[in-house]
Amino acid sequence: MPRPGFVLEVDRSTPPILFHHGEGFRLTRLPPGRTRVIYPPEPVAALRDPDGAVRHALLNPLGDSDPLPALLRPGMKLTIAFDDISLPLPQMRAPDVRQRVIEAVLDLAADAGVDDVHLIAALALHRRMTEAELRHAVGDRVYDAFAPSGRLYNHDAEDPEGMALLGTTEQGEEVEINRRAAESDLLVYVNINLVAMDGGWKSTATGLASYRSLRHHHNVRTMRHSRSFMDQHHSELHSSNWRMGKVLRDSGVRIFQIETTLNTDTFPKPFDFLMKREWEWGARDRATFVATSKALERTPPRLARQIFQSIRSPHAMSSVQAGEVQAVHRVTTENVYRQQLVAVEGQTDILTMGLPYICPYNVNSIMNPILVMCLGLGYFFNLYRGRPLVREGGVLIMSHPTPWEFHPVHHPSYIDFFEQVLADTTDPVEIEKRYETSFAEDEWYRHLYRTSYAYHGVHPFYMWYWGAHALEHLGGVIVVGGNARAVRRLGFKPASTMNDALEMASDVVGADGSITHLHNPPILLADVT
Amino acid sequence: MRLAARLGFPYSAPSTPGGVEPVAAPKRTGVDYHSAWARRFPARWSRVVLLESVMRPAMRVLANPDRVGLDRLADLAARKQPVIFAANHNSHIDTPLVLTSLPEPWRHHTFVGAAADYFFRTRMTGAVASLTLNAVPIERTKVSRRSAHHAAALIDEGWSMLIFPEGGRSPDGWGQPFRGGAAYLSLRCGVPVVPVHIGGSGRVLAKGKRAPARAATTVTFGAPLVPGGDEDSRRFGARLERAVAALADEAATDWYSARLRAHHGTTPVLGGPATTSWRRAWARGDHRRPRGSARRRSGPTWPDLT
Amino acid sequence: MKALVFERNVARYAAAAVAGRLAPGRGAAHGPLALRDIDPPDLPGTEWARVRPRLAGICGSDLATLDATSSRYFEPIVSFPFTPGHEVVGDLDDGRRVVVVPILTCAVRGIVPPCGQCGAGRENRCERVAFGGLEPGLQSGFCCATGGGWSTAMVAHPAQLRAVPDAMSDDEAVLVEPAACAVHAARRATGPTDGPGPAERVAVIGAGTLGLLTVAALARLGRHELVVVTAKHPHQRRLAGQLGADHVVSPDELARTVRSLTGSLRAGAQLTGGIETVIDCVGSDASLAQALEVVAPGGTVEVVGMPARRTLDLTSLWHREVTLRGCYAYDDRDFDDAFDLVREARLGRLVSATYPLSRYRDAIAHAAHAGGRGAVKIAFDLRAEKERRLP
Repeated sequence: MPRPGFVLEVDRSTPPILFHHGEGFRLTRLPPGRTRVIYPPEPVAALRDPDGAVRHALLNPLGDSDPLPALLRPGMKLTIAFDDISLPLPQMRAPDVRQRVIEAVLDLAADAGVDDVHLIAALALHRRMTEAELRHAVGDRVYDAFAPSGRLYNHDAEDPEGMALLGTTEQGEEVEINRRAAESDLLVYVNINLVAMDGGWKSTATGLASYRSLRHHHNVRTMRHSRSFMDQHHSELHSSNWRMGKVLRDSGVRIFQIETTLNTDTFPKPFDFLMKREWEWGARDRATFVATSKALERTPPRLARQIFQSIRSPHAMSSVQAGEVQAVHRVTTENVYRQQLVAVEGQTDILTMGLPYICPYNVNSIMNPILVMCLGLGYFFNLYRGRPLVREGGVLIMSHPTPWEFHPVHHPSYIDFFEQVLADTTDPVEIEKRYETSFAEDEWYRHLYRTSYAYHGVHPFYMWYWGAHALEHLGGVIVVGGNARAVRRLGFKPASTMNDALEMASDVVGADGSITHLHNPPILLADVT
Repeated sequence: MRLAARLGFPYSAPSTPGGVEPVAAPKRTGVDYHSAWARRFPARWSRVVLLESVMRPAMRVLANPDRVGLDRLADLAARKQPVIFAANHNSHIDTPLVLTSLPEPWRHHTFVGAAADYFFRTRMTGAVASLTLNAVPIERTKVSRRSAHHAAALIDEGWSMLIFPEGGRSPDGWGQPFRGGAAYLSLRCGVPVVPVHIGGSGRVLAKGKRAPARAATTVTFGAPLVPGGDEDSRRFGARLERAVAALADEAATDWYSARLRAHHGTTPVLGGPATTSWRRAWARGDHRRPRGSARRRSGPTWPDLT
Repeated sequence: MKALVFERNVARYAAAAVAGRLAPGRGAAHGPLALRDIDPPDLPGTEWARVRPRLAGICGSDLATLDATSSRYFEPIVSFPFTPGHEVVGDLDDGRRVVVVPILTCAVRGIVPPCGQCGAGRENRCERVAFGGLEPGLQSGFCCATGGGWSTAMVAHPAQLRAVPDAMSDDEAVLVEPAACAVHAARRATGPTDGPGPAERVAVIGAGTLGLLTVAALARLGRHELVVVTAKHPHQRRLAGQLGADHVVSPDELARTVRSLTGSLRAGAQLTGGIETVIDCVGSDASLAQALEVVAPGGTVEVVGMPARRTLDLTSLWHREVTLRGCYAYDDRDFDDAFDLVREARLGRLVSATYPLSRYRDAIAHAAHAGGRGAVKIAFDLRAEKERRLP
């Protein structure tokens, strides 16, 4: 029976707490008496018959929608869009959720005799997926059946012929999505909801969109008014996407949304103890931890990165629902909350967290300092509903090695952003005003996005905007154990140990500030009252 | 022998005196061969070693098998229950090919149903088959209760089974009609059947050939089949045969077009065209799928932009 | 008088070469340079004057000579033994302060009529540097007859003397000669006319003394739209920004910065576009290669820093019709402008440290590692030398 999450008040007998530290782990003692640690709920049970559950969902849709077989007929244009490499994190064991769902959908399509099927990786302005990554996501059978004939491909937001402008919302937001998807008789979207931000209208309105559409909600103002973007009812990001969804619906795009949730069983044996509470580690767990952390200290970073990026997580489907977009998303969100929600009372002065080695934008890649900022101030800071875990003017302390290293193929525009833009200013409003357009329209970045495996030129800006709410809210950010030059370039303060960091934090919040530690893995969503 | 003969009884066999009825020696060949010793530990260990260090590399050199569809078995593997693998049969290397392709937890917990009249003709050949392949005698001329009971008992104990429903190797490369053994056992023991298609093994060592030749082969695993509530052995067996035919189609072309054909009942039949022998041999040539780009990818690779 | 003398001694020269390759500046300790007590140089003619140096700078060309990394090209236009030092501010016998223009032109050598270049006003290209009434030597500081700045006394022709305004400090005055090189480089990089024209883009590679002075000179000309400077060390970056550079980047960031500023694409390592004028103030293999990497098709690479024997891939030069041009010394007009430049940009602050002659090894080691040690220009301070006082 999986136990729910809870808040632990740290006292003198609390053992040191586990912190993620990039490709490694640390055990750190937190000061007793003024610290609380939020533990996530244990992973919920996976579905026992996932293929059966998928089939059931397709035949029993939610909301105003016919079952999928009724929507399929010979001679129609069917497009199946699926979430890209940024989900799930870490990568799943074969078979991937998308493979199960897509094979089930294609089975029904074959039964109906549908020939014209296109499969699109809905990656918006992320990088294209390689062959190996596509094979992992949709499986060898689907890949070999569709990719050689060019019917399985990556979305290209910069293809002038490949995008269709469908209209504008009442607030003037242009809605432009992939032409094939817009002109299909049916668009089936296969989604994975890892956190409450994903899914709903955001799947199509963002995943298949272009810069022209995205800039209306991927900007500083929207992110500052999304408190938080994990809570769709208080998120300007979601309101904008929902408005765009209405335009999509009104312009005749027929979407059959299939959303899945995963449980948070993140690490395979023998590292599953990392998700256990520290006082429940047995002798074998402790031995494994000591052996692994000592070994990792001696491992060169490149090798450590390869080891970690090749971890295949045992997380499994915990729910699947299909049908009309909003009805489906309501149930999906309930399921995400069921797995991740933890009730927390009140805010504190200081929030601490260990940052893992992976975020949605460095799968099979390097986590550069900008991504560290996005993961900490963007994703982890915003894992709340209600109020942030840390008070306004408080301090955020993150633990990550923050190497001054960039992947030259995946993140070329990030290097320039870090060297040129951040050297000038770290204020998101200034950055947006002075630099975004030149990066977004740079021909070289466009070329790399379309033909290489690079994130779009404007993508580092979005990473910075993701943390705009946190930058406005916090009084200071300290990075423990990071490369000092890189941390300073980000505008944060470097500290060597957690104690030093807490000392530095006391300059901002006063002595004896209260501390909350967000324990991960696995992830949680704090419901702060 | 000669020495034993010269030395006489007890070094050599006794002769029966006249006027006495000789006792019939219990028949220990064919379907009466006792192969239980091969499933005890010393034999099992040596078979594990044989499979991993001899058979596996030999298959890689000789047949270079492309193992496809293992992800369909992921859910079944999690449940750790015995399973019946039903494959088409073209060559003697089919058994080692499938045995070395099985994933855990079935890899070293599988017995093979082997023809009693061929593999267990003498006690020697029976011992070799039991030891190396964990073979169990199955009668193919008449379905007697005995081999079925024996197989069912083993499955109940937790052993998985590899069976070739055609009953024997195909003489010309096209499939023969499936017999009912696999379906019957599945219904009786309540275990799923995994259809397996082996492609290309006929080119390695066809029936009647002495020496093997190197060729590329494919082992395709299909989705597990569970008999429906009201399905009897015959209908289930027909479904199994169609599944293997669909796998053959999938291996020859691609998954989606095979599915399209399967749904419309136009899957090419395993038995081949109903024509004369040379035209059948001619038509068989079309079934060879050209080996395209490597299908094996293990793990992510850094994109190479040079 | 006390002087640092560079003698012709093959064995020591070889030792200097080895030491110089092990660590820049070590050639001084092991090479043919020695501190000697020698007779002051005789006046080669009646109009010549004695100059007693107050400050004498150490230049990159001096360091290359001492480490034996400079080219053998110089051998015929240098006469041994010589006293190095061509960036000199000193006193005349009557107490006036002067800066020495070290180029030994036809006028200095007493060649009448002057050669075509001197006659046209391009004294830096004088064709008679090894001829005439004076020993061979391209500049004072490379000639055995004139002496040089690294001593307590040298001689100079009136054509070589420029008066120093009283308001100018010695630090500023010693930078006039290198500033003149920079002014000359900036002028050559700017185009045929001095008048206002379309703003140009220029990149300066290297932020040592020469690079920083070039930035200051370009800023003063005011004709450039963006000046990108590569600077390895923090103090260099700060100074480059203060002296007027629009963008200061570290050397490995140059290609990326140029790419995004000019909106070019990349084909392999080569940019498709680039900056029209690139001034290389370093002169090494790496800096020349980098200059060719970022220069626009049809652009110009000015080599201001003295190179030696270099290995270069000139394919991009040929394919993109790039001009590779040398830039040496200055003419009279540049020298006059240098005074204004030094005063307006307050360039005296670039003198980071001074040393007495006795500590010449330390001085040269400091100059050779100036960047890493947070320094720009190192000079010899001769004001405190006992022998300076009139006999």
